[in-house]
Amino acid sequence: MITRQLSFSALILLFIYTLQESLMNQVRLPGGGFSLFLIFILVWAALSTPEVGAVTGFAAGFLIDLSPSSSGPVGQWTLIMVLTCFGIAFLGFGDDKARGNPITIVFLVLFGVFVSEVAFIFSGALLGVNLGSFGQILLTLIGMSMWTLLITPFTLPIFSRMHAFTFDTGSRI
Amino acid sequence: MRYGGGNRSRLLLIILIVSSLFLITLDLRGVQVLDGLRSGGQTVLSPFQSAGNTVASPFKNFFSDVTHLGRTRNQLAQLRAENFNLRTKLINRKNADAELKKFKSLLDLAGTAEYKILSAKVISQGSSQSFSQTLTIDAGSNSGIHRNMTVICDSGLAGVVKEVYPNSALILLASDPSFRIGVRIAGTQQIGILSGQGSRKAVLQLIDNQTTLSVGDVLLARGSLQNRPFVPGVPVGTVVAVDNSAGAVAQSATVKFFTNFSALGVVAVVVGAPKTDPRDSLVPAKPRPTPVPTVTILVTPSPSPTATK
Repeated sequence: MITRQLSFSALILLFIYTLQESLMNQVRLPGGGFSLFLIFILVWAALSTPEVGAVTGFAAGFLIDLSPSSSGPVGQWTLIMVLTCFGIAFLGFGDDKARGNPITIVFLVLFGVFVSEVAFIFSGALLGVNLGSFGQILLTLIGMSMWTLLITPFTLPIFSRMHAFTFDTGSRI
Repeated sequence: MRYGGGNRSRLLLIILIVSSLFLITLDLRGVQVLDGLRSGGQTVLSPFQSAGNTVASPFKNFFSDVTHLGRTRNQLAQLRAENFNLRTKLINRKNADAELKKFKSLLDLAGTAEYKILSAKVISQGSSQSFSQTLTIDAGSNSGIHRNMTVICDSGLAGVVKEVYPNSALILLASDPSFRIGVRIAGTQQIGILSGQGSRKAVLQLIDNQTTLSVGDVLLARGSLQNRPFVPGVPVGTVVAVDNSAGAVAQSATVKFFTNFSALGVVAVVVGAPKTDPRDSLVPAKPRPTPVPTVTILVTPSPSPTATK
């Protein structure tokens, strides 16, 4: 059972990552655009237990770190994603009303994207990563949040079905 | 919030956090295994990025095109008249023509300065989630590209080669916040350091506090020792605003890059530097105003006006 869940999760994770790196990154959107991979991971975490959320966050963060366009040291995104995904999963876990409500999930994802980006900025500042002017960072943060709020409701049904299929939960949003 | 957690959950979280910190430490200490993983990842991804570039090419600059609608209004009006098939063909043709034009301009630029270049197509652009400004090209170490080579485009400096893989290379764009380049002002030869700001604007700090800057000054790359990472003479940008604050140690200015980083499709890597410094030979010509023809009508009064009855 766990082998099936792990292999399906890994396959889906790699597929979305490849889609993000090869196709989504090609499209230049105003305000920095959105990260489909980040949205996917946070939806996945929001629907999972904190343990699964943390492990998913670790794998996703490591993949982001391996991306050649990632500016920080390897491990920075891994750390951020472990904590963010654990936090998001922790907030949603145990309350079926919250987990079954698409609006709650959308706002959890939005919160997760915002928190992970802010954490990246602060940890980047500590690690000496140059991220640009304050105005540009603010513009990207606002832009990414707006795009996430816009895109998540459309992707949520697909990602939740993938999650239900992988974990055999039967509950879908 | 209602989650009881338990020791197992806490232990797992601690293990994952410690592993992440371990990875950060390894990377900051420069352990080669992690570089190898990144390199391997890029090698695996580059065919997908090439395919993605082909798929995304008709719409990837959609929003940028909409922003600049005024400039292309006539062209758009012409395109509206075409049917769907013709429009698709036209877009493909337009794409090829634009690349050809850029290639030609690129060759002109490189030819004037006697740079030996290797042209490449942009196959991917870096994700904005890490606030970095990078792109990936379809040529790598198999084509003779090495790290720290200058990358130019048809209008001037594009960036520098940051990482090289067998069939692709990662370019750090000049707009990246971590990008620094030594520049000199064409004509006056004053020198300074230009820093990327994450957008098309950059900040110039002059080294000598006795010199002055003025709006419209053109900046060229100073060149580096043994021409790595920068060859001399590459046009970088133009001064658009000068900061004249009284307390400043050295004069600073805002510079606009010649290169439009969001529309880069074709770039060239300078694989061979010129034997002599091209000096100011690459300074772009100032746009000349189009003369408006004036029509003068001379009316000569008739010598003998006709009498009316």
